[in-house]
Amino acid sequence: MIEDLEQLVSSAVTEVMTTMMSFKVQPTKEAINFSTGEGHLASAVGFIGKTTGVVYLYASNRFARLMTSRLLGLEDAEIEGDEMVNDAMGEMANMVVGHIKSRLVDRGMACVLTIPSIVRGSNFSIEPVSSAERRVYFFNCDQDRLGVEVMLKHS
Amino acid sequence: MKPKILTVDDSKTIRLIVTKAFKTFDCDVFEAANGVEGLAVASREQPDVIILDLTMPIMDGAEMLSKLKTHPDLRNIPVIMLTAEAGRENVLKIAKLGVRDYLIKPFKEELIVERVGRVIDLKPKGETTVRNRRFDDPLNLLVVDDKPAIIDQIKSGFGETTWTTHGRSQTGEAVDYCSQQLPDLILVSLSLPDSGGFTLFQMLKASSKTKNVPVFGLSVKTAADEQARAQQAGFQGVITKPIDFEELKSKIARALHLDTSYKYFEQREGVLVLKLPATFTTNVANEVTHHLRNKVAEAVDAGLDRMVLDLSQLKAADVSVIKLGLSAMQLCQDLSLKHRVIGSEAVSKECRNYEESKDWHFVASFEEAVAAFKQG
Repeated sequence: MIEDLEQLVSSAVTEVMTTMMSFKVQPTKEAINFSTGEGHLASAVGFIGKTTGVVYLYASNRFARLMTSRLLGLEDAEIEGDEMVNDAMGEMANMVVGHIKSRLVDRGMACVLTIPSIVRGSNFSIEPVSSAERRVYFFNCDQDRLGVEVMLKHS
Repeated sequence: MKPKILTVDDSKTIRLIVTKAFKTFDCDVFEAANGVEGLAVASREQPDVIILDLTMPIMDGAEMLSKLKTHPDLRNIPVIMLTAEAGRENVLKIAKLGVRDYLIKPFKEELIVERVGRVIDLKPKGETTVRNRRFDDPLNLLVVDDKPAIIDQIKSGFGETTWTTHGRSQTGEAVDYCSQQLPDLILVSLSLPDSGGFTLFQMLKASSKTKNVPVFGLSVKTAADEQARAQQAGFQGVITKPIDFEELKSKIARALHLDTSYKYFEQREGVLVLKLPATFTTNVANEVTHHLRNKVAEAVDAGLDRMVLDLSQLKAADVSVIKLGLSAMQLCQDLSLKHRVIGSEAVSKECRNYEESKDWHFVASFEEAVAAFKQG
């Protein structure tokens, strides 16, 4: 059980979104509406060790392109296909989870990170197995919304 | 030779960010996606610094670093480690690997430039071409002064040039400006509150991006102490108020190695023409003298054997004009160039008053000079 998980996630998301992309980040209770028919993307990085789990970052495809554009300092037209967006979103997840992992390791919960992976689609949901602890947080980033889902399995 | 930077990261995103961060610097950036590729590129390119990710597939950063350290040709290449994991244990692990520095993701572009700038000498792109720029090329000048009237005065003083003056009243605003746009030259008031001008100077010189930008101090003529302090701190120079704009333009031209020769020299119909402006100031004398030998040598190299000293615009001739004319004529004699002098009746008369120039033979126009050359 990580009691200040929300604070850890919030700090990591704010750090990454502000430093690398100059977004104004605000936590919100309002969820992302996945039923609009708009395509969405989830980037995931797992951590394995004394604490095992996975963190998903959710965003609409449009917002993912905007984040990629800001991260790389490119115009939208300069983004070359989905691969560039996938890589950028994977790196974002890596930075967010790296930030969280560092805090966990400092508390003696040693773990290693997995390589990022990407899921694209619409109307999808990720269900945890019953033994896992699941938390979902949302953040307003300027006009857009980012979702962060953390699934933990304590050894 | 340009410095070489190697970025080794499995994330194309990070490699793009690193490459983009150094886009405005005169350096080459090479990329590799893992430790194996990194070692191959390092052996081939012999980079001056390696920015190395820690967590990568195939061969991670720690293994690549240990292989680098045992390679006789690569062991001395400084390595800056890049990692998303900032925990104490990880930082200690990195330190033990023998890296020069480390950076935690997320990072700002300026930070990576700063860290690399500590290891290699980064110069802004185009600095070599700066030396070839002309006085009438567009320049971007930044003036930092808390008195709007001074900024307005400088803008107005450069009104006839193609230079653009940007004014900022506080040091923080100036730093923000420099992070977005690199000025060609900066003028900083030495009387900003809390020694702000000196603090700003130190910040500019500590940054890889702005360390090569010439910085002049602005000071009231009588403020000798702050002027001495500025010279000691390493300012390019001090401009005293009230500002003499001709002197300031000349100082800027020298600081940026701007070519001013076109204002005085031209090649016309196979003749080198040295044309003096209406008013002959010390700055004009310095600029013409600075270019004279090179321009005459260039003309000889181009096959020219005639020179005209055009004093037709000159309002009055004094000793300094005579001295410059004599230098030019001596140079022509040394290099076997024929020469003629163009000037008004009044200037011709003034020159006859001096022993050294009493025998100068004046003609009224360029056409007359050309005809005189033909007659021998």
